[in-house]
Amino acid sequence: MPSSISGGRGGESPLGLKNTLAGRDIISCRDLSREDAELVFSLAEEVNSGTIHLEDTLAGKKVALIFVEPSTRTFQSFYVAARSLGAEVLSIHDPAVSSIAKGETLYDTVKMIEGYGADCIVLRHPARGSARFAAEAAAVPVINAGSGSQEHPTQALLDVFTIKSRLGQVDGVKIGMLGDLRYSRTIPSLCYLLAKYNGVKIFFMAPPLLQVRREVELYLAEKGVTYRKAVEADEIKEMMPELDVLYVTRIQKERFPDPTEYERVRGSYVVDAKLLAYGRRDLGVMHPLPRVDELSPEVDKLPNAWYFEQARNGLPIRKALLHLVLGGAG
Amino acid sequence: MSGESLLVRKIDWGTVLDHIPAWKADQVIKLLNLESLKQNPDVSVIVLHNVPSKKLGRKDIVKLYHYMVSEDEAEILALVLPQITINYIRDWKVEKHSPGLPEKIVGKIRCPETTCITNVEREPATPRYIVMKEHGVIACEYCDTLLEIERIPDFLVG
Repeated sequence: MPSSISGGRGGESPLGLKNTLAGRDIISCRDLSREDAELVFSLAEEVNSGTIHLEDTLAGKKVALIFVEPSTRTFQSFYVAARSLGAEVLSIHDPAVSSIAKGETLYDTVKMIEGYGADCIVLRHPARGSARFAAEAAAVPVINAGSGSQEHPTQALLDVFTIKSRLGQVDGVKIGMLGDLRYSRTIPSLCYLLAKYNGVKIFFMAPPLLQVRREVELYLAEKGVTYRKAVEADEIKEMMPELDVLYVTRIQKERFPDPTEYERVRGSYVVDAKLLAYGRRDLGVMHPLPRVDELSPEVDKLPNAWYFEQARNGLPIRKALLHLVLGGAG
Repeated sequence: MSGESLLVRKIDWGTVLDHIPAWKADQVIKLLNLESLKQNPDVSVIVLHNVPSKKLGRKDIVKLYHYMVSEDEAEILALVLPQITINYIRDWKVEKHSPGLPEKIVGKIRCPETTCITNVEREPATPRYIVMKEHGVIACEYCDTLLEIERIPDFLVG
């Protein structure tokens, strides 16, 4: 029988777990422990299966959504999650019609929205470091919904949740990351979160211009995570049979400092049935979406396509996260 | 008589920053707390460029008359210019100082990542770095971008 729980009011604890995320900022996956992630996953799983409903657990709370960059999935899933948990939503979704267009700073925007009684701020901003800066400015928790090309921790939570749901575990997963590893914000977050699990092996598949940033490599080396790089198409094909998961990313055209660099790499890879034929039959294909032309629609109907389920998982993950950050029972 | 003493007399109180690579004294000035220097009307700054040196061939020297470099300043100077020697002078007596390495640096250095929040116009975000000496880099605490220690002079503020 489904149970309801009372968020932030010391109500029944459906999972019997300590809420380690109450009142915390969610800025980087570096800051999250495996236990933090597993707490979110456990609650999201119960929400997904309908055994727990979190409806109205945030009644009386205000969640501010400040989105200074375009977003479809992240904004909508946070919006639906907050509303379905009973929170009031304060939103800045179109910077063109807000004071941001008049040159208002992020600092002032955060202070203003906090002054209107926000209990939590969900922020998407084009500047790297914006979420950490906002968290320093705000007294209430800040959730990073994408900080330029730096990180997107809630995407990583839903990514790893999807892997866990499909494979039963995350330890030992062999994952290929293909595409724009340099400017993608999902890649660093996913790497940092996977580094909290044992025996993970990462294959970075990208041309030199799009290879993973050095700070990500240093972090993985520090955490003892095995990784390899492939830059040529032949090397990528050789790696394919080893993979449990292939995580594909779009080339982030909007983040290239030089348009000629973008022209040099656009269309440099396409994931289609032909490429997947090099992998195992049960290889899972993931993509944070939106896609452009790097992931062929012909993959959609193959059992390998996990990406629409992955996108759907954004909702239970963000419900669970909002509930926990705002002090709900674990 | 050394080339230095021909050019400028000794000081009785203050700091002498010696063995600065030739023509790099401007970097030293940028790394010091200029506001603190300016606020003290008794402070004089004497800069010597390209004087002969047994150790370096040619070197710069900065003499800060009536100014004692702080430990924080000394640490950053030693990080960016590892050859530098720092001498405190009190009543003509010279005391050599060997600073440790800083764990953090606040301000002074512009983040090399143009999209970092600390580079956004009018945002009151002061750059802050963690020193990762073992990797030869500093890391921006806001945006995680790494900057090689030898490239720090290219990003000094001011």
